[in-house]
Amino acid sequence: MTGGRDGQAARWLDAQLHLLDRQVLDVHGVPMAVVDDLELSDVPVGQRIPVDAPPPVITALLSGPVLATRIFGGRPPDSRMQRTPWTAVVEVGVVIKLAVDQDTRDVAWTERWVRDHIIGRIPGGRHIPEREPNDHPENDERGGS
Amino acid sequence: MKRILGVALGILTAIGGFLDIGDMVTNAVVGSRFGLSLAWVVVVGVIGICVFAQMSGRVAAVSGRATFELIRERLGPRAAVLNLGASFMINLMTLTAEIGGVALALQLVSSVSYLLWVPFAALAVWLVIWRVKFSVMENVAGLVGLCLIGFAVALFLLNPDWGELGRQALPGASTSTEKVSTYWFYAVALFGAAMTPYEVFFFSSGAVEEGWTTKDLTRSRANVLVGFPLGGLLSLAIAGCAAVVLLPQLISVTALSQVMLPVALAGGKMLIALIILGIVAATAGAALETTLSAGYTIAQFLGWPWGKFRPPAQAARFHLLMIICLIVGIGTLMTGVDPIQVTEISVVFSAVALPLTYLPILIVANDPEYLGEHVNGHALNGIALIYLVIILAAALAAIPLLIITGAGQ
Repeated sequence: MTGGRDGQAARWLDAQLHLLDRQVLDVHGVPMAVVDDLELSDVPVGQRIPVDAPPPVITALLSGPVLATRIFGGRPPDSRMQRTPWTAVVEVGVVIKLAVDQDTRDVAWTERWVRDHIIGRIPGGRHIPEREPNDHPENDERGGS
Repeated sequence: MKRILGVALGILTAIGGFLDIGDMVTNAVVGSRFGLSLAWVVVVGVIGICVFAQMSGRVAAVSGRATFELIRERLGPRAAVLNLGASFMINLMTLTAEIGGVALALQLVSSVSYLLWVPFAALAVWLVIWRVKFSVMENVAGLVGLCLIGFAVALFLLNPDWGELGRQALPGASTSTEKVSTYWFYAVALFGAAMTPYEVFFFSSGAVEEGWTTKDLTRSRANVLVGFPLGGLLSLAIAGCAAVVLLPQLISVTALSQVMLPVALAGGKMLIALIILGIVAATAGAALETTLSAGYTIAQFLGWPWGKFRPPAQAARFHLLMIICLIVGIGTLMTGVDPIQVTEISVVFSAVALPLTYLPILIVANDPEYLGEHVNGHALNGIALIYLVIILAAALAAIPLLIITGAGQ
């Protein structure tokens, strides 16, 4: 497939090399998930595809239980697919950047659960590491919760 | 002083790799049985880890990606999950052994059974991970760990016949009585210890923790070139002490106290006190390195938020995972298992983890998408390819040698 927006020269994207298994960052630059699999628009299986049918497009990045089925085969039930719509993607580089906050996404529910029920309750769990003038660049974008 | 602190990450990484509790004993065993005839392995190992740690540090500084992200990305989920399993077992076994090691060192000081120290040692490790800043952690553990230089001091005080030691280190000057397979078992064990995968996991993740950028490339190189050779030198000093004192007396090393014997002979109480302090810092440092590496590898494989630069609540699964690892470690030690033997078994897992860790680092270090102009040069690639062959050979030989020699018995 070819990528490239804003009329830039089209760049070849290899799904295996540039999309699958890449780290996904949310709008704040916080790691959200890894691209465990890709969802394509409907391709009829076992039927003849008409000549003028539109080519399939990537509709979503999948994460979560789909990783196990990618390794061992099979398909998780639809209710357990954790989708991030392709429309949320703003940049494909050495990481994939999204325009959404992970606190609004299903894919990060385990993180939220562990935070709210375990780690956040241990004394010091919400303590923000002390800052220094040249402290970590990622801390500047974010600040604590 | 600032210069020294600038390379603390390299020193701590190297101490965790070369001077963890298992390696300290292994080095003394090797010295007491083979003299310095295996010294060349340490040299080969130091060069190898320098080559690959430098690459992983450079990738982390320029692109911000830590090593296990690369492994998953370039090897795909199947091979990466194999590596993850093996690396995680190495991390878990080593962190268990190190907590036992801290406890053993405290037992030497206090005469209180090490089993009673284990929960406190684990709690201390957790508190550091939970609350202490990454830079403070690496500075303290790295600097105090330098007390192990006492082993080099001891070697000088013993005033050995340097010519004889030098002859032992020459190739072909083998010490007849041991079997060839045992010799090579220890060669593979020493090489594996020098190149343990958690060193690059920790080093690259530490570079991200400290927020290194392209400006820090010189610093990355300095960390590598100071830290790992120093670690190798100290492990040779331990072997040297054992070769001078224990080898002629035919004393076989089975425990930490025998590692200290030459030191006591050379420097008396003061040096012993210094070394014990160094051992506590080194084992605690190795415990921190392996515990954090356990968290880093799984978080990077699954894409979780990770790192000590975040409040724990913002890297919740990462912190929960490390707490579970420490609890498993305490539980394992409480069964009374010998902490030092735990590290010997982990050699088996290195066989899987070594090639699957260093190949993706080499591939990405040549990818301009990540490194732009800072990709590997031809010479570095040449050396790295030679090392991949050595790593593969060591990986293939590890398990057969372990079985044939009964773990070097």
